[in-house]
Amino acid sequence: MSEAGTDVLSGWWMREDMSPQLSRAALEDVVGRLQRRHGHAAVRFGGDPMPAEVWSTGVPVLDGVLPGGLPCGRIAVLAGARGRATGRLTLLQALAARASRSMEVAYLDLAGTLDPGFLADLGADLGACYVVRPPGGRLGPGLAMARTLVAAGVPWLAVALGGGAGRERGWEHALSALVGAVEARGAVACVSAPSPPPAALAYASSLTVACAPLDWQLAHGDVIGLRVRLRVVKSKLGGVDNEGALLLRYPRPQAPAEVVGLPAVVEEPLAPAAAAVAPVATVTLPEPAALPATG
Amino acid sequence: MARILCAHFEHLGLLAAWRRHPELRNEPVIVGSGPLLQLPVVAASAAARAVGVCAGMPLRQAQQLCPRAVILDLDVEAVAELRAAALDGLCAVVPSVEMGDELAYADLGGCHAQHPGEAAWAAAAARALTRGLGEAPAVGVAGSRFTAWMAARVSSPRHVRRVRPGEEAAFLAPLPTGLLPVDAAVVARLGALGLDCLGAVAALSPADLGRQFGGDAGLAVHRYARGEDEAPVTPATAPRTLVERLVIEGGGADRELLSRCAQRACAVLGGRLRERGLAAGRVGLVLEGEGGPPLAAGTRVPPAPAGSAAELWAAVLGLLGALEPGAPVAGLRLEVDELATASGRQVELWRRGDAERDAVAHAVARLQDRFGAATVVRPRLTVDPGDLPERRFAWELVIPAPQAARP
Repeated sequence: MSEAGTDVLSGWWMREDMSPQLSRAALEDVVGRLQRRHGHAAVRFGGDPMPAEVWSTGVPVLDGVLPGGLPCGRIAVLAGARGRATGRLTLLQALAARASRSMEVAYLDLAGTLDPGFLADLGADLGACYVVRPPGGRLGPGLAMARTLVAAGVPWLAVALGGGAGRERGWEHALSALVGAVEARGAVACVSAPSPPPAALAYASSLTVACAPLDWQLAHGDVIGLRVRLRVVKSKLGGVDNEGALLLRYPRPQAPAEVVGLPAVVEEPLAPAAAAVAPVATVTLPEPAALPATG
Repeated sequence: MARILCAHFEHLGLLAAWRRHPELRNEPVIVGSGPLLQLPVVAASAAARAVGVCAGMPLRQAQQLCPRAVILDLDVEAVAELRAAALDGLCAVVPSVEMGDELAYADLGGCHAQHPGEAAWAAAAARALTRGLGEAPAVGVAGSRFTAWMAARVSSPRHVRRVRPGEEAAFLAPLPTGLLPVDAAVVARLGALGLDCLGAVAALSPADLGRQFGGDAGLAVHRYARGEDEAPVTPATAPRTLVERLVIEGGGADRELLSRCAQRACAVLGGRLRERGLAAGRVGLVLEGEGGPPLAAGTRVPPAPAGSAAELWAAVLGLLGALEPGAPVAGLRLEVDELATASGRQVELWRRGDAERDAVAHAVARLQDRFGAATVVRPRLTVDPGDLPERRFAWELVIPAPQAARP
């Protein structure tokens, strides 16, 4: 803060005869002047959401639930119940697939469930994907490897945590380094974690979205998708308790990737049961047989 | 703006023969012998050419045309040495060089710190080539490859003929169409149409030439005649190795000491590479014992050609981790070879993170060194997927694994 700005602020502060309304108006005036001079991020009121650059997911409903998209330079967590099909992993892969069409993506596969064919069916550019598989599937080295790639310039990081994530020791330091690298490079980092996420991850995340299954989408007796409810349970960027519903639809069975193309985004009318929560968007997803047991 | 230098000299086979038999310098010499004279003529001296001998002609026919010519075998090894010497000399002045048997091309686009001005740079290149060949070439400089070749042809040894930018068409206009590097039938047809000089061809529209000779051939003829061909200089890989050797007083096997020595060698070699505008395609590290024999050595191919100390260091760091010297190290030798022109890469402006692709490749190489080659992979769809879902893709290594260390 410059000396001139400090003088104005302290000069106002010393006047005790001002009414609270006048004080508030004067304070806003001073803050406005400081923001004009030093930028909007320099001074802000405590209740204002943190301004942050976001990466649009391309799904309007999802962007509506999230604060405009996934935040850049921060960790976002998709959390879902352990041992159930909650759609968090498939949603993560759908987002990674979309990102790979415009930038390099690193996918840290700690869950060991990545199927590149499925990723290709989602429209991913596999040539832009680095798949990181740390020795023994250990979380600490995996996060350290992810940090190296992000620090080198990979702008989008997907992390798929397995069911036993967080049980090993010493990975918190690697997570802390990863958070620093993500923040320094302004990268997008999205983590799929079983619910509740490990304490260190829950603390480090700026945005945590809870994924809960609503029902299966059936057609002629076949499962063609999964309807998922999303709820923002933690956000440093505003929009806590935002809710929405997504239909994660699988691509056609055995369809070549180049024919399947990009995941379709279809607005559907609200179902009576889901009307209370949000509109529904559709993301093309895998065939029923390929549905992971968890995620 | 492209500026290309072309140097024209006697065939390397003839120069090698003259080196071996200097008394034949003014005599008719034919190079290209073989059992029963069944191989064609590779090169002929000016005295032999004067009576009609030319390259590609059957040796028996050449012997009949010039009975007093001396016929010599082509000394392949001497030619290779001569080529290497010429390339080495030229590469020291111009980073991008293409070397042929009778012609050498060099890219003079841009600036050279030690030779301000194109004329000084071209003269320095000509002098370097003269030192390597032992014979002064005729040099031409122009905006395109064909025009530079023409300029070299009309120039004479120890002279540099420069064609100013924008004056290529005017320079080429009076030259005969027979010099065009196109099919002989096209040249004959041009002659039949009464187009005997390049200026007459350049005056025609590409569409007219396309109708006569086909789209591609017509366009090529038009571009050649106007001096607008866009053929680049295809740089040859300089057959050189840059080496930096450090002696460790008293010897030592401490990792920290070796690391510091290697870092210093990287700084020196990186500076030399940067000075010459080169990048190394392969990096080798040798740890020597007291008597000089290698205790351990290894080579690796960096993910992108290394042209600076930092890039070299990233490759050497991986090698250091892999080498296990069994005894105190008395000397450290860092070698870089497969040197090529350090050229930039076109960055996709609208692809986020594309500018950092090289840095990411180096990071991946470091991770593979530390955690194993299979820890960072890239999926690839297979051509024939088969019935099983897991056969639809294959994993491929992002960076090729380094060569195993050899004792």
